[in-house]
This record gives sequence, structure tokens and C-alpha cells, in this order.
Amino acid sequence: MSIGIEIERPRPSLLAKLGSISWPLVLLLTLIAACGFVTLYSAAGGSLSPWAGRQMMRYAVAVVMMICVALVDIRTWRKLAYPIYGVTFLLLVAVEIRGEIGMGAQRWIDLGVIQLQPSELMKIALILALARYFHGLSYEDVGKPWRLVPPAFLVLAPAVLVLKQPDLGTAGKLMMCGGAIFFLVGVRIWKFAVLFVGFAAALPFAWNHLRDYQKNRVYTFLDPESDPLGTGYHIIQSKIALGSGGIFGKGYMQGSQAHLNFLPEKQTDFIFTMLAEEWGLVGGLFVLGLYTLVFIYGLAIALRVRNHFGRILAMGITVNFFLYMFINTAMVMGLIPVVGVPLALVSYGGTAMLTVLFGWGLVMSAWVHRDVRIGLRGESLDD
Amino acid sequence: MTPIKNPCRPRHFKPAPCAPLPVDEKTQRTLEAGRSRLFVIGGLFAAVFGVIALRLVDVTLFRPEESRLAQAHLAPRAVEVSRADIVDRNGTILATTLVTPSLYANPKLITDPAGTARRLAAAFPDLLEGELYAKLASNKSFVWVKRHLTPREQQTVLELGIPGLEFQREERRVYPHGPLAAHVVGYTGIDNKGLAGIERGFDEVLSQSKEPLQLSIDLRVQHVLREELQRSIDEFSAIGGTAIVMDVRNGEIAGLVSLPDFDPNRPGTATPERIFNRATLGVYEMGSTFKLFNTAMALDAGASRLTSSYDATKPIRVGRFTIDDYHPKRRWLTVPEIFKYSSNIGSVKMALEAGVERQKEFFRRIGFLGAPTIEIPETAAPLVPSPWREVNAMTISFGYGMSVTPMHLVDGTAAMVNGGILRQPTLLKRPDDYLPSGQQVISPRTSDAMRRLLRLVVEQGTGSYANAPGYLVGGKTGTAEKASGKGYARKALLSSFVGAFPMNEPRYVVLVMVDEPHGTKKTFGYATAGWVAAPAVGRIVPRIAPLLGVSPVDEAAPEIRRAVAIDMPGPQVNKVASN
Repeated sequence: MSIGIEIERPRPSLLAKLGSISWPLVLLLTLIAACGFVTLYSAAGGSLSPWAGRQMMRYAVAVVMMICVALVDIRTWRKLAYPIYGVTFLLLVAVEIRGEIGMGAQRWIDLGVIQLQPSELMKIALILALARYFHGLSYEDVGKPWRLVPPAFLVLAPAVLVLKQPDLGTAGKLMMCGGAIFFLVGVRIWKFAVLFVGFAAALPFAWNHLRDYQKNRVYTFLDPESDPLGTGYHIIQSKIALGSGGIFGKGYMQGSQAHLNFLPEKQTDFIFTMLAEEWGLVGGLFVLGLYTLVFIYGLAIALRVRNHFGRILAMGITVNFFLYMFINTAMVMGLIPVVGVPLALVSYGGTAMLTVLFGWGLVMSAWVHRDVRIGLRGESLDD
Repeated sequence: MTPIKNPCRPRHFKPAPCAPLPVDEKTQRTLEAGRSRLFVIGGLFAAVFGVIALRLVDVTLFRPEESRLAQAHLAPRAVEVSRADIVDRNGTILATTLVTPSLYANPKLITDPAGTARRLAAAFPDLLEGELYAKLASNKSFVWVKRHLTPREQQTVLELGIPGLEFQREERRVYPHGPLAAHVVGYTGIDNKGLAGIERGFDEVLSQSKEPLQLSIDLRVQHVLREELQRSIDEFSAIGGTAIVMDVRNGEIAGLVSLPDFDPNRPGTATPERIFNRATLGVYEMGSTFKLFNTAMALDAGASRLTSSYDATKPIRVGRFTIDDYHPKRRWLTVPEIFKYSSNIGSVKMALEAGVERQKEFFRRIGFLGAPTIEIPETAAPLVPSPWREVNAMTISFGYGMSVTPMHLVDGTAAMVNGGILRQPTLLKRPDDYLPSGQQVISPRTSDAMRRLLRLVVEQGTGSYANAPGYLVGGKTGTAEKASGKGYARKALLSSFVGAFPMNEPRYVVLVMVDEPHGTKKTFGYATAGWVAAPAVGRIVPRIAPLLGVSPVDEAAPEIRRAVAIDMPGPQVNKVASN
């Protein structure tokens, strides 16, 4: 190039892009989902209906969607970040309004074909929006406190709405995910310390605003045996199931805790327990191992990407996926209170699977376009 | 990058700057700053993974839960108490008595009331120092300080070493399973006198005997019933409900639940609505489940046969009322069809053909004209028409104009399917091979026909959601509009399903009744029994059958088909066949 002749770099063909997708990552995700199919098949007493069959169909559709997302240029996603956030936020508001009309927890919008849960979508939209915002800031900019006001608002507005639904688990995850991104982009440590102290001070106040059932879950977490037939039931049964699995498990389709219905929500939130009851410690560690590999992949991609937007995006999605896994497994093993969070890709459920794979599609898009350089204002630097 | 000397280079050409663009430099720095943070997050991931993996090893390999539960069962009973335990059919304790120390004081022996009050108030934060002082400084020789102390609290008081404080041995009734069997077991007052349920019904026995009183209910069945009934109540935003399981051979109640319920450990905090026992004290117009008895009555009296058919082409007018069908067929219907489609018109015609007297006599025979005979005091007499005229006979044929308790319905259904013998329901466990005497209320042949009809409703009719593969569930749905003021409330429904399983040789009757359910999107707005009560039975049966020792059978096996199948000739074929 120093010869002075600018050569127009050809845009990579679609086929070339398809080839550069990280197929091992696709394979890993498929393996995790397959653990889910196998367990759901057993949960239905050895039948594809009602869960395993539908879950497989959904996965097939979601994987195709993931590939499509990966092929879309990372710059396009950057342009779309704010619109996607805006639309999702409006959906969240819509759910809130409808929830007021109905009673109790209203988290769904019925689109006819599928039921959409905007709070799930919000996680991805939030990561996109934060990635775009911080992409435009240099490390020095991040040091200026007033620069942090808009992104803080981006995180808090949906978190408060979700909290009102009321969905404590999702609200917590939005906050944690936002916090992780703040940390990643270099927000100074002392600010986190200030926030932490403020949070601790606000805790007694927040406690008074929790619903009774939410307080019960915390009490029960502290002492599950205090109420073995009520709210403590889930955790006790889950721990008995895990304990009865032992090292190698009771064998496929032999888990008595799950099959005799002692284990609640075995196809969704407590699927990890069912898996570990039937496959034992070995099976549980195998699944955890698969997750570990996926996280290493996500981190490696984040390290390798040459543009800030892609890196924040990859990191944010990986953290989000990690939180899914951590909250769920920690819950079923009694490390944290019971919150309704599914095990990503394994639990039965459509929206969660779509969201997770959409997210990984974005990570792959960041990988495919890893050498694209984007300036602070979004201009491509090497075209 | 070795600089190339180009001899042809024009003068005005300036080489591109070697340094990156300033924008690019900034980006670069930002990227590098993020990198270190990324490693920190990666490290955090690793740590958390470690914790989770360790915990997994902990819960799968070391089983603290199981050993703790096992120990709980071994707890020995060493102390003599004045009221016997109540246990379920497997010996699990439903009610027991704990000995607790209660603390009292003799103020005349207390030298320093102020200091004592201060030290006691420090040991028991729920006691007020001022009140304690007033008590301790009084001129009496006996005042209660605090009743029912825990052993640790007692130790604390002993360590205070204050003269004048004494302990009184007291007893306290405890229900370890809380609300799970509240309406069966009942509760006691502060002086341990039974106030409701078995506690009241057997008050004298319990206070004289040392042996535990064994009930017929199975706590596991009880749990399943309560969970599934609660699920239906939640799903359909109902105000309450009841569920009963009874052994058809000896009348033992294996489970009885009434929701909403209460915690018998704290009966004082429960509302009357929660204490109310819907299963035995509530009387309801049952609706179509009564057709079970109407059909049995007509068949047994010989007034109808399975092949008889009735004109259901148009509604029946009685005075200013019109009796019509929920699913009108507008044609002649055979008896099995009347039952399957739950035809009101057909039922009325069958009742009229049998006659008013016969109907009244039949309901008297199956015990529907008196309060249910069961060991708890919470029973109610049915509401029966008086005088019993033809118009009453017409409405009773499809379950209106006469109110009975759900317990009546269960007991009556047992007699309809067990070969025709009515036995008294009981909450006490009978000796293993003891078969109580009963009265033959319908012939074994009619009972056999009823089994087939009930199975038909689940195989092809309104009760299909009650099916549980392999358990041959049979039964009848009933959706009644609740009487409100002078008329009936279209929106306030009572959805029930009463049935038995397995239909080839019935072992247990199951009843689920949901009070004022509301339709959901999933049920297309319907709150009828087929959508509300039948699915609950369909969920309950496969869960309780293994606990009660009923094995699934091959439904397609020829001997099973012979036992439960029914000929379903249409009206046309019927005429040819009867010729």
C-alpha cells in the first residue's frame, strides 16, 4: 500500500462468510441443546410429545436464525442497536399496560404464532444499545461521570419496568449484565464501590417493597427445612433428587424423584436436577463442561475482535449466557434463593431459546467481521 | 516496511503518514483498556464455575438431606402424654402431643421484682419489662410469665438462677404436616380439647387411649390431591374446591381435601371460610353427575334398558321453565347416548318413566336423604324437596332441586360401581381383611352396566380429559349453575367430576369439585367440568394409583374390552336389533 495505489478491498462473498462462521461453537451449542432434548424425552416418560419434539423443531428454526444473524454485517447491527432497543422498550411498556388490566404477573405478548416475552428480548437489546453507546467513548471519556448517565438510564429504565411485572430474576439479570459491561469498558473501580455501598444502604427499603412470595423465597432459602411442604418443597426435593443420583446416576428414564412428580417444574427450571438425577455427577459435570467451553469460546472471540462494538457485544452476550447458567444451577442446588430462571438451551421454552441463539448469532457476527474496524462515530476505517 | 526509493516519484507526492489516524489511536487505547478487564471477568467466571462444580459434588455425593430425614423417623417417644397421637394409614404422625415447660412466678418469693423483670425481658424480647414488673410486684402467689417454652429457653431461665421462678409441665398439640389434613384431623383448643374433625369426633377416645389412632387417609394421596386441586383452583381463578378418594370395597377414605384450608397449629388465625369443610359440610346442587344415579335407578327398576331410546327432539316445557340440552342432538337418543351427551331431556323422560315414588325410594336407599355418616362432626343434612312432586322428580333427574354433600356423591358412586353394595364411608383404617357389611342397593347387573356407561363418558364423551392411560378411568362430569337468590347464576358454576378406576374392576372412587371456576384462554373460555374437573382427575389418578397399589393394564386386551366396552347402536340400528 505504501506504493500509493489504493486497492478497493473486495467485500467478502456470502459463501466466504459462511465458511468463516465458528462452526465448533455451533456444534457446542447443539450439544448443549441435545442434552435438553434427551432429558425432555425422559421427562415426558419416554415420549417426544409434549416437550422434546417441539423443542427440537424450535432449535432447528433458531439455529437457522442464528446463522442469518451471524451473516449480517456487524456495522448494520451497530446501526440497528438503538432502534431495536427502542422497539423492545415499547413492547415492555405495552406489557406493563396490559398487565395493569389483567391481574398479577403479565409477562407475555401474544403474537398468535408465538408468545413473546419482551423482558427476554430486552437483555439482547440492552447489550446492543450499551455496546453502541460505549463504542463511541474513549477510555478517557468513560472516566467522566456525566458520560455514564445515559447508559445508566438505558439499564435502569427496563429494569424498573421488569421489576414491576414483577420479575425479580430478570430485573436482577439486566442489572448484572449492564454492570458487567460497565466494568468491561473501563468504568473506574471506585464508582462500583460507591454503587455497592449505596445498594447496601437501600436494601432495607427495597425489602419492604418485595412481594410476600418473594420474601418467602428468601426466608426459605435461609432455612428450607422450616417449611418443607410449602415454599421449601422445591429446594428439598431438588436436593434429594441430586443426592439420589450419586456419581453415575439412576440411569436414563429411571429418575424416581422426577418421574413420580416429586420434582416440580422438571421440564423447565429444574431440568438440571432431573438430568443430574438420571446421569449423576458425571452427567452434571459433563453439561457444566460444555458450558465452560462455550464461555471460553465467547471470551476468546471477545479478545480477538478488533472493534470495540463487537468486543463489548461478544462479552455482554457471554456474560448474559453465563448468568442464565449460574443462576439456574446455583438455584437448584440451593446456593441462591428460588428464582424462575431457565437453564439456557436445555430448559423447555421458546422465547428463551430464540433469545439465546439470537445473542450467539450476534457474537458470531462479531467473529465473522472481526477485522472490520469501526471509528468512534461509526465510519469504517479500512474500506 | 522498507522505504522504496522511487525514481519516478513526482515532486508533489507526499507519502502517507506512517502513524495510524488519530481516531484509530484512540480506538486502540480503548481496546487495550478493555482487554485487562476482560481477563478479570474471565477469572470470575472460572471461580464461579469452580463453586458450582464443588457444590454439585457436594449435593450428589454427600446426602445431608436424606440422612436428616431418616433420623427424623427414628425419633423415640419416651414421654408419657395425656392425649394419643393420630397417625395416617402408614403410621405417619398427623397429630401429636409435646410436653413443654411453662414458666410461672410466685411474686411472694421474689425479692427483687425490678431486677427480675429486667433480666427476664432481656431473655425474652417478646415480653415487656413494664408488664413483667407489674406482675412480679403484685401481691399474688401465682402469675404466668410465659407458656410453652422451648428447651433452650428453659435452660436460659435456669441459668438466670432467680428464686421464685418455677416451671409447670404442660402439653401442647402439634400438627407436623400443617394444613395437609386439616379438615380431617381437625384441631384442639388451648386446653387440648378437640374442637373439630377427628380431634372432636374422637375426643374421649384420644384422651383415654395410649395407642395412636390410625386413620384411613394416606398422607401421600392427601398431598397429591391438595396439590392438583390447588393447581386447578389457581388455573381457573376459583374460590375453592374439594377432592376425595375412597376405596370402593370397604369405604375407607384414602384422601379428603377441602380448599382453601388452614393450619391447625394456629386455628385462631384462620377465617371461617378456611375452616369450612366443603367435602362433608357443604351441600350443593350437583348437576349432571346426578344422572349417574338417575340412570342406575331407571335401569335397576327395569323401567329402562340399555337399548331403550327416548325422544330428545325438542325441549320440555314445564310451566314457565324450559328444560333443554347443553349439546342438543334433536333426535331420539338411546340410554348410553343420553349418558354420554349428558342429555337433560332424556334424563327427565327416564325419571318420569320410572316414577316419582321409585325415585324417592331410590335416593332414600342410597342414603341421600340423611346426613353422611362419617366420624367427623362437620356433616350436613341434604336439602330435599318437600313435597316431592313430579316437577321435583324432573329437575332431580339432572341434578337440580336437591342438594347433597360431595361425600354423598362419592359414597353413592362407590355403590354404583362396586357391584351394588352401599357401605358406610369411614376415616378410620379398617383391619386388613375385614369387610364391613353393606346393603345391596342395585343389582350386580346394573352395576356392571354403570361401569360401562361411566367408561364410555371418558372414552368418547365429556370426560375425555380425565383419561389416564392404563388406569381405565370412568366417570361423569357435572357443571351446575349455583343458585343465587331466586334464580341461577350463569357465571357462578360448580364443576365436578366423579369417577372410579380401573373400570374393569373398580378399586377407588375419585371426586374433584371446583367452586366458581373461570374459563381461561387455554380452555377457550369454558369453565365446564370437562375442562376443569376432569383434567384434574386425569392428573391425580396416575400419581395416586402407584401409591395405592393399582397397576396399569393393557386397555386393548380382549378381556379388558369385554369388561368395559358397550354396544353403541344408533337409534336406527337399535330398532332393527330389537325387532
